[in-house]
Amino acid sequence: MNHILTITTNNEASVVERLLQVTRYRGYQLAGLELTPLSDMAGLSITLTVSSDKPIHLLTSQLHKLYDVRDLQLVSADIAALRA
Amino acid sequence: MNGAELVLKVLQQQGVDTIFGYPGGAIMPIYDAIYASPVKHYLCRHEQGGAFSAIGYARSSGKVGVCLATSGPGATNLITSLADAMLDSVPLVAITGQVSQAVMGTDAFQEIDVLGLSLSVTKHSFMVRSADELAATLNEAFAIARSGRPGPVLVDIPKDVQLAAVSETEVSVQPRQRPINTSLAQSTKARQLIANANKPMAYIGGGVHMAGAMPQLQDFLAQCPMPSVTTLKGMGSVAKDNPYYLGMLGMHGTQAANIAVQQCDLLICLGARFDDRVTGNLQKFAPKAKVIHVDIDPAEINKVRFAQVSFLGDMQQILPAISSSTNCSDWLAHCSSLKQQHGWRYDHPGERIYAPLMLKQLSERMPDNSVVCCDVGQHQMWVAQHMRFSHPRNHLSSGGLGTMGFGLPAAIGAKLARPQDTVIAVSGDGSFMMNVQELGTIKRFRLPVKIVIIDNQRLGMVKQWQQLFFDERYSETDLSDNPDFVALAAAFAIPGHCITRKDEVEGALEAMFTWPGPYLLHVRIDEKDNVWPLVPPGAANEDMILESN
Repeated sequence: MNHILTITTNNEASVVERLLQVTRYRGYQLAGLELTPLSDMAGLSITLTVSSDKPIHLLTSQLHKLYDVRDLQLVSADIAALRA
Repeated sequence: MNGAELVLKVLQQQGVDTIFGYPGGAIMPIYDAIYASPVKHYLCRHEQGGAFSAIGYARSSGKVGVCLATSGPGATNLITSLADAMLDSVPLVAITGQVSQAVMGTDAFQEIDVLGLSLSVTKHSFMVRSADELAATLNEAFAIARSGRPGPVLVDIPKDVQLAAVSETEVSVQPRQRPINTSLAQSTKARQLIANANKPMAYIGGGVHMAGAMPQLQDFLAQCPMPSVTTLKGMGSVAKDNPYYLGMLGMHGTQAANIAVQQCDLLICLGARFDDRVTGNLQKFAPKAKVIHVDIDPAEINKVRFAQVSFLGDMQQILPAISSSTNCSDWLAHCSSLKQQHGWRYDHPGERIYAPLMLKQLSERMPDNSVVCCDVGQHQMWVAQHMRFSHPRNHLSSGGLGTMGFGLPAAIGAKLARPQDTVIAVSGDGSFMMNVQELGTIKRFRLPVKIVIIDNQRLGMVKQWQQLFFDERYSETDLSDNPDFVALAAAFAIPGHCITRKDEVEGALEAMFTWPGPYLLHVRIDEKDNVWPLVPPGAANEDMILESN
């Protein structure tokens, strides 16, 4: 099952590595990744799509803890499809 | 002032007076600044040892531990210690030198991507790109290390940043700290669960004392009389004379603790995380229990065990809020009976030293506020089973990572943090050799650490599993060619003594404690002695294997 996370982070060099490391270690497969710098270049807007049968809260709770993560929202697959 | 001098200035501002480390090329400017700094540096003999000393310092004192290493191999040698601090939630700031930015990314001499290496073993890590960022970054590192669920933070500082001129007037920046929002919204529900429970049980982890909530815990257990068990890291949380404290639970927990937890109908998890060594077969763990889970880390709630009621935040606020009178006198009597029925037996036959009895004697003889630092293996579990501690900061054991080689350097850190207290490193013959070079640190600083090596000439815990689960195929666990440990200690000007018989124990302990300096007691035991009880892998905690089986 795919889960779509929209994440706002600090624009730090290692932040994407951190997101991907946690995603891999916690047992979620990467199914999509998009990132755009925010207008002030101090932050990044990231859309992370992951796939797993595990409950998604086990990943979001770990990603939330990352120091450079400012905000994290779980977007339901249905809403994501409508947006597309 | 240059960046390196600013590093030392910030450390002083953070209240740091003791650091551990090992110099090398890319961190030489900082070591040059140490030369004239009032911050006392303790030279270890391996970066892993230095970082474990910083961990021992932090765990025994509650302060942030600080360690230093150079780039490349110095930094990679820190990785195991960072992982240890990560899994045991130890506040640690590790500062590494890095090659100059001009050559970064060129595979320069002693260059390694330590920031990349650190991702999975730190709470956060920084690369400082400009001297202007140094003070703010270091302050942030300390704030992250000690806030919320504590953990290790790495700060990698290129050599050119260390050498860059900085303004002496640079002000420290207030670190960004995420506030701890403690919600007590479910306290009524929690109190109802506690009041209505027939068989409540407190399951206490290291998070209680790390939250500074030891007084609140004692009040909670007094106001809500119920049995309690602790994790390895929670040992010492419950007053020694509490009649309903059942000891450690889990794989090598007491029978009373494991049986009672399996029978309880309400499990109040306080600063613990349902580790697999605690739960055994998770599906069969405490099967009749509802769960109240209190933690500061939201990721621990419902991670492996669903909690009917959960609290996030400050344990000091939460414990009073959920206090409720209990009505479980039959359950208390039952647990007391379990404790009596399944008490330890020390009637070991023969003349050879029985480690559990020897450790009980050590526990009874050591001053009350002694710090015991363990290594990993059979001796570690015997310490947890047979020694009693008056505070969790008096029992330093590598719990989450289970790192052999932890004990000796951790004891060095503990002794420097608490020079007034007796510090004892209890090690095994396998573990001791993992960081034996730190005897050099003990010698250099004349640290009166007491070292007890429990020697069965085997990697005992692995051998025990080979005996039980691998058809007695003892692959690579024979250490019968160990060095002469007393002679080894003597090479570092540390006196010692070797004992083999029960009747030698009391005298040897007396000699060790009365000697004013460091001392090594080599205790030879029978290689056939194993740790009991043991919950086999995949089994429920009530299905313990006992010695008599």
